[in-house]
Amino acid sequence: MTLTTDADPAVDVVGVTKRYGPLVAVDDVSLRVAPGEVYGILGPNGAGKTTLLRMLFGLIRPDSGTIAVFGRSWSRDDVRTLDGVAGFIESPKFYPYLTGRQNLEGLRLLDGSGLPDRLEEVLDVVDLTGREDDKVGGYSYGMRQRLGVAASLLRSPRLLVLDEPANGLDPGGIRDMRALVKRLADGGLTVLLSSHHMDEVEEICDNVTIMNRGSVAFHGTIDDLRAMAPDPGHLLRTGDDRQAVAIGRARHPGVVVEPAPDGGLVATGSERDLSAYVADLVRAEVPLLAFTPTRTPLEALFFMLTDARPDDVRLRGKEAVR
Amino acid sequence: MTASTLASPRPSNTCARKEAGLGSAILWETRKLRAQLRSRALLVGTLLAPVAVVLVVGAQSRPPKDSLFGRFSTENGFAMSLLVLGFASQWILPLVTAIVAGDAFASEDQHGTWKTVLTRSVSRSRLFWAKVLVSVVFGLVALVVLAAATIGASLLIVGRQPLTGLSGQLIEPGAALGLVAASWATMAPPLIAFTCLALLFSVWSRNAAVGIAAPVVIGMVMQLVGSLGGIEAIRPYLLTTPFEAWHGLLAEPRFTGPILDGVLSSAVWSGASLVAAFLVLRHRDITGG
Ligand SMILES: Nc1ncnc2c1ncn2[C@@H]1O[C@H](COP(=O)(O)OP(=O)(O)OP(=O)(O)O)[C@@H](O)[C@H]1O
Ligand SMILES: [Mg+2]
Repeated sequence: MTLTTDADPAVDVVGVTKRYGPLVAVDDVSLRVAPGEVYGILGPNGAGKTTLLRMLFGLIRPDSGTIAVFGRSWSRDDVRTLDGVAGFIESPKFYPYLTGRQNLEGLRLLDGSGLPDRLEEVLDVVDLTGREDDKVGGYSYGMRQRLGVAASLLRSPRLLVLDEPANGLDPGGIRDMRALVKRLADGGLTVLLSSHHMDEVEEICDNVTIMNRGSVAFHGTIDDLRAMAPDPGHLLRTGDDRQAVAIGRARHPGVVVEPAPDGGLVATGSERDLSAYVADLVRAEVPLLAFTPTRTPLEALFFMLTDARPDDVRLRGKEAVR
Repeated sequence: MTASTLASPRPSNTCARKEAGLGSAILWETRKLRAQLRSRALLVGTLLAPVAVVLVVGAQSRPPKDSLFGRFSTENGFAMSLLVLGFASQWILPLVTAIVAGDAFASEDQHGTWKTVLTRSVSRSRLFWAKVLVSVVFGLVALVVLAAATIGASLLIVGRQPLTGLSGQLIEPGAALGLVAASWATMAPPLIAFTCLALLFSVWSRNAAVGIAAPVVIGMVMQLVGSLGGIEAIRPYLLTTPFEAWHGLLAEPRFTGPILDGVLSSAVWSGASLVAAFLVLRHRDITGG
């Protein structure tokens, strides 16, 4: 047994690679989650988020690199690596022929001894009280997701690992899930969560790693990320696009006005330049029909980091990790 | 979702934590098995089916003369029990045990629950041995129920007359009961071996249908091979040979060599299957679910 100390990072991933045949699902990824932190792994479909989290849980073995959780690693400590760790990968799965309560009771058996009995408490936290004696086979998707959270909290974790926890939930469910994660984090729990929604990560995380095609594309705080964000683009619909473009070119060098792919114009520039430009359009009596942000700046950055020029972005990400 | 105080950033009891032991894993597997309709139905089946078979065969005007002990089966309960035994060992015993064992690992794949259990505090090897033990014990329980139901129904319905042995000797009812029970007991080693084979197919194929069908098909093929001439060299290694080892108990003089050979070959089959199954599970990436 290894003693863990407070100095140990909650999660320490160093140079982890996982290949599926020719495909490199996770490519030399390093990241470190400090205790008490809410850490987001962000990336589009197929970025390697789930693969990385599965390796953390010991469900799959990395081809190279090491993963330590509170100073423990699978090679040395086997399942004790998961002491104080809970969570779920993709959508949580249960035994459909058992009730919610039976599932939780069974999982508690597999948690070993030395844990407090919190079954009623966790059922209450996820609002499943009253349905716990129904078979899980009859649960809705959202109920199963909540049972997954209950099953995780049953372990009284220090680190909660959630793989796209809001996936498949309705807007109310998403809001509740985010609120719960925030509340748990406020209580001092370390949270590592993956997502493909920038707004989710922005809302609840302190630190973020953006992954793309297996590699780290960005690594830093949400504030770092904000500082890198491009100027917001706005979709502009006018009664006279030709004149609107002309006014932009002639008098507003800080604003780029281009035809949008599906009609109208896109104006990009700082907020100040954009408002001056719009005021000018109104003065010139160009009929203004719509002026809406295309994407939030962070979203735009996310697409930039994960779609465009992945190579030079990747370089930057690696420097950030060091 | 309501307020929560569940987060425990630094629980004072971290050191007191123990990972789940084999006992907990066995308890968990047993609970799941008990909750499944399939396993309960199977036990009820092993209890009732022999009664039905004894009733039907016992009511025939002409006994099944071609089968071992068939000739006396309609007038002698011990012969009836042995007739059913011979029939059960063809493919029913492998099937009964495979229905649970073939599903033991594959059902975790089917439900996507490997990740659920393996992200708790139980090691893969503990879970493996728990599943093995529960499956083997279930197979043995099914065998005991089948044997008890068959012998009980035969004696009650057909009667307790002295039994004519394979060498024509007459066996008194008291001794006959012991021999019939012992004959049924010799099914245990090959049954365990078929259980382990089903477990291997369950782990390897990740598919319950394969886990259940493969041991039965293998049993049938071995039976067929065993019935061919000129295969004396491989006969001792066939997993179906131990199913016939009880014949020696009912001969005069009695011989038990085949039973010991059967125990040995069953042990080898069981061991090899379990080692292979363990290695497959141990090194497997859990990517599903
Ligand atoms: N079992 C597997 N066999 C082969 N390739 C796999 C396997 N699992 C994942 N991959 C591949 O590895 C890459 C990373 O997949 P992963 O599931 O980790 O992505 P993700 O970031 O979680 O995506 P999503 O947002 O869709 O959940 C993908 O290209 C995927 O096709
Ligand atoms: Mg994923």
